[in-house]
Amino acid sequence: MAIGFCAFQQQGAIFRTRNPRSENSVANFKIKKGFDVKVVGKPSTNVEEYASQQLFTVYPSEFEGLKVRLKVKAGETVKRGDVLFENKKNEKMVFRSPCAGTVKAINLGARRFPVEIQIEKDAQSQDNVTFETYTRDSVGQLSREQVADHLLNTGVWPLIKQRPFNKIADPDAAPKAVFINACNSAPYQADFSLILKGDEEAFQTGINALAKLTEGKVHLCKSAGSDIPDFKNAESHTFSGKHPSGNTSVHINRISPILPHDTVYTITAQNVILIGKTLLTGELPKTKIIALAGPAVKEEFRKYYKVEIGGSLESLLSKAIQGDDVRLINGNVLWGSQIKADACVPYYGSEIFALEEDRSRHLLGWTTPGLFQYSAHRVNISSFFGFSHDWKLGTNLHGSHRAMVVTGWMDKFQPLNIMTDFLIRAALAHDTDEMIQLGILETDPEDFALASFVDPHKTDVCGIIKRGLEEIEEEGI
Amino acid sequence: MKALFDFMDKNIAPLFEKGGKFERLYPLWEAGDTFNRTPADVTPSAPHVRDSIDQKRLMIFVIYALIPCILFGIWNAGNQFNLANGIESTFGADMARGALMVLPIIFVSYAVGGLWEVLFAVIRRHEINEGFLVTGMLFPLTLAPTIPLWQVAIGISFGIVIGKEIFGGVGYNILNPALTARAFLFFAYPAQISGDKVWVGSLAESPSIVNSILGHSGEYVDGVTQATPLAVAAAAKGSGMAAVDALNHAGYTLQNMTVGNIPGSIGSTSVIAILIGMGFLMLTGIASWRVMVSGIIGCAMMGLLFNALPLDNEFASLPWFYHLVMGGFLFGIVFMATDPVSASATNVGKFIYGFLIGALTVLIRVANPAYPEGAMLAILFMNVMAPLVDHFVVQGHIKKRTAYARALNNA
Repeated sequence: MAIGFCAFQQQGAIFRTRNPRSENSVANFKIKKGFDVKVVGKPSTNVEEYASQQLFTVYPSEFEGLKVRLKVKAGETVKRGDVLFENKKNEKMVFRSPCAGTVKAINLGARRFPVEIQIEKDAQSQDNVTFETYTRDSVGQLSREQVADHLLNTGVWPLIKQRPFNKIADPDAAPKAVFINACNSAPYQADFSLILKGDEEAFQTGINALAKLTEGKVHLCKSAGSDIPDFKNAESHTFSGKHPSGNTSVHINRISPILPHDTVYTITAQNVILIGKTLLTGELPKTKIIALAGPAVKEEFRKYYKVEIGGSLESLLSKAIQGDDVRLINGNVLWGSQIKADACVPYYGSEIFALEEDRSRHLLGWTTPGLFQYSAHRVNISSFFGFSHDWKLGTNLHGSHRAMVVTGWMDKFQPLNIMTDFLIRAALAHDTDEMIQLGILETDPEDFALASFVDPHKTDVCGIIKRGLEEIEEEGI
Repeated sequence: MKALFDFMDKNIAPLFEKGGKFERLYPLWEAGDTFNRTPADVTPSAPHVRDSIDQKRLMIFVIYALIPCILFGIWNAGNQFNLANGIESTFGADMARGALMVLPIIFVSYAVGGLWEVLFAVIRRHEINEGFLVTGMLFPLTLAPTIPLWQVAIGISFGIVIGKEIFGGVGYNILNPALTARAFLFFAYPAQISGDKVWVGSLAESPSIVNSILGHSGEYVDGVTQATPLAVAAAAKGSGMAAVDALNHAGYTLQNMTVGNIPGSIGSTSVIAILIGMGFLMLTGIASWRVMVSGIIGCAMMGLLFNALPLDNEFASLPWFYHLVMGGFLFGIVFMATDPVSASATNVGKFIYGFLIGALTVLIRVANPAYPEGAMLAILFMNVMAPLVDHFVVQGHIKKRTAYARALNNA
């Protein structure tokens, strides 16, 4: 019975691959499994300019696994574009200053790792490191090495990541494809169609550069219904359905799954624009657009902001945030990392989400009908008719941690065809072979955010998968 | 109320927290505290919001699903007792007698089982698991209403300690603890659980304090003998009498076996009450419909198969739908087999697991001369086999994944 059932599904999978996908054609993928977390705080479509204050910060801690060699000291004066630090393992990979000014402080964390490099911006100084400029078409004349070296030298290379392991792309690896993510399925990922307006030229230039890095195709993955046009040198695909239809892993799985020893490059669409701008202007891009969303953001501030890369967000956030005990997240509510109220614009990420730390306790909460509790499970009555409106959610865990019971429930929300429970078990047992067989290489911890969300035992699924991936990376495939 | 909670948070909670006077008893405090109010914990990392479901809610909803069985079981125990002992049977009198028979069993099950649960939680320094709420209720419902209370205590101790805690507690055990407890009693004290006369009880054997509360004193009739439908049908095997006739002769019709006003385990006689619970479990999505549906199909198909075979066994010729309403099968497949810890976890595996429980139940009933109730042994056997079933399903899944990836890469 099991074999027959599997064979039936397999036929379906092969059938899907027979979609004729010629150059620049549009293939539509409908993702059936998933869940849309409905939370209040949708940003309006206005884009407002926001000038940062004097303080700029670069966070080397954003680059997970990076060995940092500092090239500046506290008190030094730097130009915009001067090298702040480099990758110890690959000295070509440099990270440059987002502004001209004085290095105010280098804050060290555990094992003397520089967590923050703070720079006091000099408002008068126009000191700027410049690089060679290209046009949209002249990028296409370059060789792979020239493009890679230029992107490494300008410090924008780390915007490109690679799978498996979702780390900074290895410039020497030959990826079989590049995946550009222009989707927004999580609440409230920045809408790329807004960000793109006026920067089409830079986006096309970025795509042309990326196309030089791979012998395969560049895949541009868009949400169904968004008005992003097609671009040359990229194959367009649209994804519809609930979250996680916008996750890069889902795109890779449906278009060109990762087999052991495969490498693909991934990048978010806004970062392609930043790469394009660097090539066109010959200097580091100054600004990017972020969305400010979430229930703890005052309604008039829920919109898009054009911000200076690395610049302080303190004055904006102090005006926009309501409530005393608020969690700020770099990323969306399902997958993002906590940041402080005086944070600066992060290197990665296009949205900042704010929600209340909800430490409220409810009398006999385990036995109420669950009319006013947000849940994907039918154990709460709200799940039958409660999803027509957005909910004001907080960070409450709604229970405490218990030993995990293998229920198979998590897979209801997992379109990746991964046996989530068994994958977690293999990861907990440090069984790297089984993890690989079950498909962990196709995933990133963010793909398990929904699994964590719906788990009644409050298991840290994302953390377990993250550790599993780290183990495999250490041991080698 | 708020003032009381504030007082507790400020003055009592620190006693149980780290460095407090009663630090070791933290699990006990935590259980009581989170019973009153949901915990104040916030998400440590992404995802930053969580679903409002938790283990407590899941487990209490299983108890809700059991309420029809509990209430009917109480009434039926009293009703059977009163009818057999010549006492006037009114709803009130039946419920009163039934409550005095059943509630002590439930109380002992919870008290003794809870003691073990707390003891292990305190020793292991982990939180008390709510799974015990379900085990502590399921176990009494599988027992005869006349079971001696000391056996309840020993049974639940075995179920909790050997069936669950020595493996590490809920989530780590391989057998359903409630069924383990019942199986222990079955093998250790067969006279009290599988004998013919245990299911109804008599005034003479009933505790005198209970009799005096209910005003039943004076002359007692002698011990009451009444076999359960399964015992009747099993007895027909050698007698040459068709099983259905034997059942009818003993007063067991399809109708009263469905309604459940017959002798039997406390919670498992009424098909209607179990079906209400089954509907609730399916509606709320707590228990796997795959296990329940495929179990019923397995039972029916095995019954049909035996009907078709030319066997010299009256039980084998019992119409297939009788297997569904007789004995503890339906109760077992709805409440025991669906235990997510000991059942198969894969969707395909759940179909196989449920189907085999149904089929094995009928096979044991027909083929086992000693004990006609097959559901308990079938579920325990498939508990042990569930990881194997899952193993093959996972291997099939891995092959399918690899084939999918290769096919797409070559397309």
